[in-house]
Order: sequence, then C-alpha cells, then structure tokens
Amino acid sequence: MTDREEVRGSDGVVSDAGDEESFEAGRRRFIQATGLLGISAGIAGLPLESVWAAEEGSVGAPKKGGTLVMVVQPEPPTLASYNNTSGPIGQVAPKVYDGLLEYDMKLNPIPSLAKSWTESPDGKTVTFKLEEGVRFHDGKPFTSADVQYSIMEVLKKVHPRGPTNFQEVVAVDTPDAHTAVFRLKNAAPYMMKALSAYESPMVPKHLFEGTDLHNNPYANKPIGTGPFKFVEWQRGQYMRFDRNPDYWRKGKPYFDRVVARFIGEAQTRTAAVERGEVAYAAYNALPNVDAKRLSKSSTLVVTTKGYEMDAPIVELEFNTKRKPFDNQKVRQAIAYAIDRKFVIDNIWFGYGKPATGPISSNFRGTGLYTDDVLRYDVPNRMEIANKLLDEAGYPRKGDGTRFEMVHDITPYGEEWRRFGEYVQQVLQQLGIKATLRYEDVPTWIRRIYTNYDYDMTSDWLKTFGDPVIGVQRQYWSKAIRPGTPWVNGTRWTSPKVDELLEAAAVEADPKKRNELYHEFQKIVVEASQIIWVMELEFTTVYNRKLQNAVVSPLGVNTSFDGAWMKA
Amino acid sequence: MKAFWNRFSRSRSAVVGLAFFALVVIVALAGPRFFPGGPFQLVAKPFLAPGDGYLFGTDMLGRDVTAGLVYGARTSLVIGLTSTAIAILIGALVGGIAGYYGRWVDEALMRWTEIFQTIPFFIFAILLVAVLAPSVKSVIFAIAVVSWPPMSRLVRGEFMAMRSREFVEACIGMGMSDARVIFVHILPNCLSPVIVTGSLMVATAILTESALSFLGLSDPNLMSWGFMVGAGREFLQRAPWLCAIPGAAILLTVLAINLIGEGLSDALNPRLRQL
Amino acid sequence: MSGRLTGRSRWPLFVLRRLLQAVPTLLVIAVLNFGIIQLAPGDAADVLAGEAGGATPEYMAQLRHEFGLDRPKYVQLAKYVGNLFRFDLGYSFRDGMTVRDLILQRLGPTLLLMGTTIVVSIGLGVLLGLAAAANAKTWRDDLLTVVSLLSYATPLFWVGLMLIEVFSLKLGWFPTSGMETVAAFYEGWDRVVDIAYHLVLPALTLSLFYMALYTRLMRAAMLEQWGMDYVTTARAKGLTERRIAFRHVLRNAVLPVVTMAGVQIGALLGGSVVVETVFGWPGMGLLAFQSLFARDVNLLLGIFFISACLVVAVNLVVDLVYFVLDPRIEVR
Repeated sequence: MTDREEVRGSDGVVSDAGDEESFEAGRRRFIQATGLLGISAGIAGLPLESVWAAEEGSVGAPKKGGTLVMVVQPEPPTLASYNNTSGPIGQVAPKVYDGLLEYDMKLNPIPSLAKSWTESPDGKTVTFKLEEGVRFHDGKPFTSADVQYSIMEVLKKVHPRGPTNFQEVVAVDTPDAHTAVFRLKNAAPYMMKALSAYESPMVPKHLFEGTDLHNNPYANKPIGTGPFKFVEWQRGQYMRFDRNPDYWRKGKPYFDRVVARFIGEAQTRTAAVERGEVAYAAYNALPNVDAKRLSKSSTLVVTTKGYEMDAPIVELEFNTKRKPFDNQKVRQAIAYAIDRKFVIDNIWFGYGKPATGPISSNFRGTGLYTDDVLRYDVPNRMEIANKLLDEAGYPRKGDGTRFEMVHDITPYGEEWRRFGEYVQQVLQQLGIKATLRYEDVPTWIRRIYTNYDYDMTSDWLKTFGDPVIGVQRQYWSKAIRPGTPWVNGTRWTSPKVDELLEAAAVEADPKKRNELYHEFQKIVVEASQIIWVMELEFTTVYNRKLQNAVVSPLGVNTSFDGAWMKA
Repeated sequence: MKAFWNRFSRSRSAVVGLAFFALVVIVALAGPRFFPGGPFQLVAKPFLAPGDGYLFGTDMLGRDVTAGLVYGARTSLVIGLTSTAIAILIGALVGGIAGYYGRWVDEALMRWTEIFQTIPFFIFAILLVAVLAPSVKSVIFAIAVVSWPPMSRLVRGEFMAMRSREFVEACIGMGMSDARVIFVHILPNCLSPVIVTGSLMVATAILTESALSFLGLSDPNLMSWGFMVGAGREFLQRAPWLCAIPGAAILLTVLAINLIGEGLSDALNPRLRQL
Repeated sequence: MSGRLTGRSRWPLFVLRRLLQAVPTLLVIAVLNFGIIQLAPGDAADVLAGEAGGATPEYMAQLRHEFGLDRPKYVQLAKYVGNLFRFDLGYSFRDGMTVRDLILQRLGPTLLLMGTTIVVSIGLGVLLGLAAAANAKTWRDDLLTVVSLLSYATPLFWVGLMLIEVFSLKLGWFPTSGMETVAAFYEGWDRVVDIAYHLVLPALTLSLFYMALYTRLMRAAMLEQWGMDYVTTARAKGLTERRIAFRHVLRNAVLPVVTMAGVQIGALLGGSVVVETVFGWPGMGLLAFQSLFARDVNLLLGIFFISACLVVAVNLVVDLVYFVLDPRIEVR
C-alpha cells in the first residue's frame, strides 16, 4: 500500500496526502478533521478510500470507550515536553498538549490548533489563524497570547531544539485572539516542519508566566488543550490519562482512558503484548526478533510506519583529528568493509534500509535526497578497502595486522553491542585490531562530545523533519561545540560545506534548496568522516483490533484522538 | 592429606562436584586451543541448531556457541577465583588485625566492615562497575569489594578465639613478633573455615558476574556465560539453546562448587556450620 | 530469670545506643558514595541533553547551574550532608520531585516484595530444613539438598524469565509484570487481590534463592543442636522427643536463620534489582539502577541512604527478636 492509503483512517481523520499545501487545502482538511466526514469522502473524491475500506474489511463507526494500554520504554524522566525532548516524553505528552500543526505521511503540514495559515512570498511572515473555542483542561481559553508565549518565552528559551527551530523568529504578533503572526529575519522553511505537538507543544501562559519553567508545578502535571487529561503518574508503573470531554474536536477522542506502562525488561514487554496486557508498543519496545516473529501473528500488527519524521541513521563516526583517521583513505576503506546487508539482516533482523549518505531516503519525496554519490556497497569492496589501506601507508605487518584501535559502542542496548562485535570482526579481516569499549550513556557522551577521546564510535542520529534541524548539526563547522551531544563530533569541516549548509537553510525556493543539499551530500560522502550504515526502521507492534493506530509520520508521538478499539 | 581425602571422598556428591569442576578447569585451560579464531568469530549461518554442524549450534551472528562456552569458562573462572582471592585477602587482613589486636583497632575496623555490610551490595557493585567502565578488571574489583566483609567477620572470630589460647599467649610471651605469631601460628589454624567459605564465595562471584552481565555490565571483549545468557534471552523463542546452554553451564558449575564446599566443610570440620 | 528481667527493662536504652551508633555509619556511607559517584564521568546535564537529542551550550550551562553542578565538589558535599541532618534528601532535578517523595512511592512496593520474600523464604527454608534434618542421611535428605542447591545455583534472571514463560505465557495463570492491572484501576479489596496476584511470580523468584540458603542453614543448625548437652539432659528428665524438638531444639536452631536473614537484608535489596527489572516491579532497586545511569546523584545517594537505614533498622529488629527467642542472651 502507498502512504496515501495508510494515512486514511476509517473515519478519515487524516486526509489526503500529497497535494501542494495551501490555505484552502488546509481548511478543507480542517473540515474533515472536525468530523463532517460523511461528506468529506465526497469532497475529496478519493477512490482509494474505498479500496482501503474493502481491503481492511472495515469497520463502520468508531466505537467509543475502553482503555488503551501502551508500553513506553524507558520511563520518561519528566512530562515537560517543552523543555525536554527525551524520546519517551514525546510518546505521552502529545496526548495532553496540542501543537499548531500536524503532518501527513509525506511530511506536509495539516491543521491542528492552527486551522489555516499563509506564508508571505519572501517567507518572512507566517500568519496562523487559530481554532476558536479551544479551552485548556483547567477551563481557560486558548488564544494567540498562548502561542506567542509558548514560542517566544518557552520554546525559544528552554527547549533543546527550539533555539534552532525558531532561530529566525523575531516576534510573534497577536492582532486578535485567534491570529498569530510569526515575523522572521530570514525565511526558515524548516520551521514549518517543527510545529507539531511533539516538537513544539502549546502551553498555557496563565499557568507558566513568571514561574521557573524547569520546576513549575505543572511540568509533571501538564495542562494542555489535547484530547486526554493527565490524571496521575505512579513512578515505575504507569501514567494515566483520561478522556477530555470538552475536546475541541467534537466527538473525540474515542478512548475513555490511555495508560502508559513502564516495563524495564524487553522479554517481559514481549510477553505482556503477547498476552494482551498491552495493546501498543512503539519505538522497538519489543526486540526486532520478536517483532519479526509477531508479524505473522493473527492478533497483532507490526508496522514500520510512523517514524518518517525521525528518519534515524546508524553511523560509525571517526575522530578526524586523530591518526590514522585523519586520512580519508582509511575512513573510506572501513566504509567499504562494512557489509550493510549483513548488518540489516542479522543485527536488526531486516528492519532497516542501506544508507547512502547523511540525508535519509525518507526525503526522496521532497527531493532533498540523492543517491548519486560515491557508493561503498560495491561487489569488490573488500579488495578496494585493502588497497586503500595500503595506499594510505598502513600495509600489513608480519602478523597480518596494520594498526590497532579502540571502537566505542554507543550504549543503547543489545543490537548496538552486537553491531560492535560485528565491526570488530570486519576490522580484523582488514588487518585492524580493534578493542571494544562499552560505557554507560553519560560517560560515553562525555567521551565523544566533550573530550573527543575516541577513535571510532557507533552512533545514531535522527534527521527529523528537515536537514537544518537534524543533519546540519553534524557537518557544520559552527556545530563543533564541546560539551553538547549530537553535534559535529568528528570535527571534520570544509568551507564549501559550510557555505552550502548556510545557503540552504535560508533558501525559500525548494528546487534551489534541493540542489544545494545534493552537492552537500556528494562532498561529505566522499570525505567519509562518517560511515552511514543503515537507515534504522523502528517498529510499532499493536493489537489488530486497534483502529487508526498509526496515522502520522510522528506515529506514537501524536494525540491518539482518532484511535479506537474494535469490539 | 590422605586422611583428608578419605573424609572428603566419603561424600559422593562432593566427589562428583570436584570431578565436574576439574572438567571445567580443563576446558578453560585447554579448550581455547581448539578455537584459535576466538569466541567472537563469525563461523557459519546464524541460528544453527545444536548438532547441526556445531555441537551447541551457532548464535544470532553465526558464532560457535561451543567456542563461547569454552572461552566463557575461562572468564567465569578467572573472575570467580580472582575476585574471591582478593576478597579473602582483604577480609583476612582486616579480620585478622581486628581479632588479633582487639580493642580500638577492632572497634574501628569492624565499624568499617559494618559500613560495607550496610550498603546494598549488588547496587554498590553496579555503581563501581559503571564508574570504572565495564572491563574484566572492574568487575573483579567490584565483586571483591562487596564480598570481603563476611570473610573479615569470620576471620576476626577465629583470631579472637585463637588469641586467647595458651600456645599463642606463650608465643607472645617468648617475644615473637606479631607478624610471626599471626602468619606462622594463628593463620594456619583458621584456614579450614576460610577455605570452606571461600569456595562458596567463588560460586556467588560467578552468579554475581552473570547478573552484572545480564544488566549489560560486562567486558565487551570477553565472552562470559552471563553475557551469553543475557544476549541470548531476546531469542528465547527463536533459539532457546542460546540461553539454556550457558545457563546450564553456570548452574552446574555453581552447583559443583557448592558440593565441593559442603564436602570440604564435612572433611575439615564436622562441627562447622554449613552456611 | 533475673537476667531476663534486667535485659527486658534495658531494651529502650539498647535501642537508643544502637541508633546513635548508626549515625556515623550512615554518614560515612553518604560521603563514600558521593565520592564514588563523582568519579563517574558525565553528569545529569549530559544525560538530559543526550536524551533530548541535542541542546545548545547555553541550555547545558543553565541546567548545570540549576542543578548546582557548577559549584565546587566540596560545597556540593557539604550542602548534601548538611541537608541530611535536617532529614532532607534533596531534590531530583531530573524527575522534578523531592527525593523523599520519589523514594516514598517506591518504598511500599519494595517492602511488600522484600517482606513477602523474607516470610516465604524463611518459612519454607525452616520447614524444608527441618524435613532434611529429620531425614538426615537418607535419600530424602539428599533430594532436598539437591533441590535447594539447584535453586541457589540458578541465576535469578533466568528463573524469572522461565517463570514468565511457563506461568504467564503458556499457562496464563499469572500476569507477566507490573504491580497491578492498571487498565482496571481496582479499588479496595479487589485491588489487594489484584496486587497479591501480581506479587506471586517476583516473590517466588526471589524466595527460591533465599529459601535454599535457609534450608541448608536450618538443617545444619538442627543437627548441631541435637548433639547438645541440654538435649541429653532433657531426655534424661523424660521429656518426649516431640517436646524436645519443638520447645527447645527448634527454638535454638531458628536463631542462626534469623541472624542470616538480618545480615542479608542489604543483599536482598540489591538482588531485587534484577527481579524488579524482569518483572517491572516498581521497587527501589530499579530506581537506583536508573538513577545511576541518569547521574541523578541526589536520588542515588538518597536510595543508598534509605537502604542503609533499612538495614540498620532490620538488624535492630533481628536483635530484639533474638532476645525474645533466646532469653539467655542479654542485650548489651
């Protein structure tokens, strides 16, 4: 099935993907979203919907009531999604907070709290018309003042990525209670991808203003405008969210309650899902090998959809300031030696695609991605690799080895450890004797991103909705920032790459922008300061009775307002 | 010695335990010769069942489980024996000095021991391994640090009892140096409870190592049984032997050591409490 | 008899003295652990920024300032110890809660799991030990030996995973994990039953391990006591074997078991990390594990501190139990 069919829920919540975004299209989607749906199929006139319905043997009107139990791994540290973007927070906070926009499966914006929007031709003014009659869970109305406050005082100041997302925003004007006007220094095409409930939640000004945002009492008892109200958080056990009867999308949500459970052990999570104690498990909460096995189950669905705005890439990063990895030929040799297919099949059990460069093939649709770069997955790759190492001045010595090194393993679980063990074996075939090092998260972060005390490390970075947010940080010379994780830790730089990235960030014309990024990809792939091994595909496993389980490129990081359980 | 062996071999289970333990030692010493590529070498297709070309099958990456077992035996024994040796050393030193000198020395050292007994030992071990970064050295160190206190209490008790015996008093009266009295006269007389308790500490150390491995705190360059079980648990359904075989190795070895311990206990001192 | 009376009347003094003695121990534990944690590279700001998937340098600096991490180590330590004297365990910046509240949430489940384990393992251990001693040197004794050694020698996590596999997945008798059926939100009596139901597998896993120890101990102690002079005396007085066994021997043989249980409280708290991980039981061990990897120093220190207090308290209770079981022992 195509994306288009996937997104169409049985009640058509998220609507037709793919046409150019516009004020009108936005408004039409909004009409659909508010539940005038009997008509909407007619308006949209999409034959595909009926195909979908026929295939799924669907389903009739959504059934109200019941509890959705999901497992979230690990337990979130806080619920303050406005100042902490730790993965698991994103899985729960959007049940409570809404954002200005949502996104369709092709990453195009669709309405949420903003029912429509217009951009000026120079891209420096963006005007949002807000939904009317929206109230926070404490009964106070949501207005443009909340938007202004959320962007300027919260996200721009205390959100980890906010300062990047909104770097060009000078002010948010509020001509009336339901209009918010973003005024920008330069065009910022990526900003429009960063307005989801997950990335940029709209928080209540009246509860936050003038308080210490990190220790605000509502940080862990969130009050938002979303479809579910926060009820309680029993640490180590669960969070409970109850239906918001006054939700602004009338008639929604369908579930009475959403419960997020925390189970530390992967095997136990699998058992809980198999036994039906848990109906939804995202972000590889179940090991890939179990996902693969359960994909044949008659009661469960396994999907890799819903992570399109994450687009994570598995990487091996070199310390380019340290011998011999300052030598491009050495880096390329190792890039040739890694068998991407073996890694995908045997370590991630098929849940991944070979990566060709820094931008994920998820961006193929927007034209940002190109695979017209130096390719390392050629048939005679081991031969080339050995030749490159000889040329670089590291011939095999008497015992068959060329040099010794330490390979750091990113401390994110079993797969990574096996990946490290595999890389060690591959390096051995090249005559490189590698010792593995596996430290805990804070130690590793310090080593790689503060002390730069490493040779080569595995790592994975999400590329998010736009290269400015997720890609630029690893390649830009100004992103060499000791002490800050997930930036340019290889310390490789090139004036040309800087120039391309800076131009692309403010380029309003999509076509020109794509060309800039294509050139960027060619240069860095050849430099090979990073080996892009594979595009990681996360899995979501959910109960087959659950409807509208994955309706957005943000997958679990959305509100679940349209989800319901078939009897 | 012969008398000791006679008493020891009276317990059939102790002899069986000893035989199995000897087998493990032989495998650990000689086994790696048969697997020159090491335990991490990719030798065949992943998930080959036991007997399918490889005695115990292959794991998720296509590594020979038998090679893992053999190298794992080495790791488990090294960790078990070394950490116990260190723990006995610390424990005997602290307990011996406390028991011999008594009074404020005893008071101070026992306070120190009490502190270590008051800290939840496994969490403390996790803390130490995490701080020092997982490696075989840090695991040995952590296990030694958390397991010496009972030993020191045991040795202290023995020393206190010995200290008041006539022959010791006589030695001191003759002007013998403290070190000589301690090492030549007292220590040899309290070896038997130390050996019995020490043998059980080896078993506990192997279990502790496996639990640390289960939580991901093990040396990534060394194959160990605990690591094999931990890594294999994802594949309980797909390949149960990955978890079961090294699990059985741990179980049988720990059992063997316990049986030896009981046999020793009976042989060395029939009245000794069997802890 | 007189010793008994004076002993009884002096027990409040004894308790007070033991509590005072515990103060320096607890302080040293706090300082020691503080020092060790400081040796660990990376701090809470690194972790938060790491989890966030990125952060600006200003954000990191702001976090460090807020957490007090930019102050010299000795100032941080002095402040921590000063707070301890006011029974203030500090604040977990990561969780946005006081450490006291965080630990209190976990204390109940921890005590429930520990308490059940202690009762079950001592109960079963004493019974099996008795059975083994009564059948000493027969096949029954050998069988009990092997069973108890087997359950001692099996890694805890392995037992836990197997129990889930068999009793939750295959037979469907017990839930896999957690402390209660969260979707249901039972109340009152239903909730008690529900929690008990969830408690079975984790408590069984932990109990099997300790049961083995107590069985061995009980067997040895029984055999030793039977050889004592007072038993001969009792027989000479014409008491029945039954009466001797239950009134005298059993009472004395239980003492080492109780002592051992007291000594092992610390180990039990730590050992439950693995069981809590496997069964998703919301206890303190798991919290400690997580706080370590989050470099949540205040929380980790708080857990060490509270655990140590618990160990001290339990051992005090053990001594008092001792006193009740064996009137000959005087409290010093």
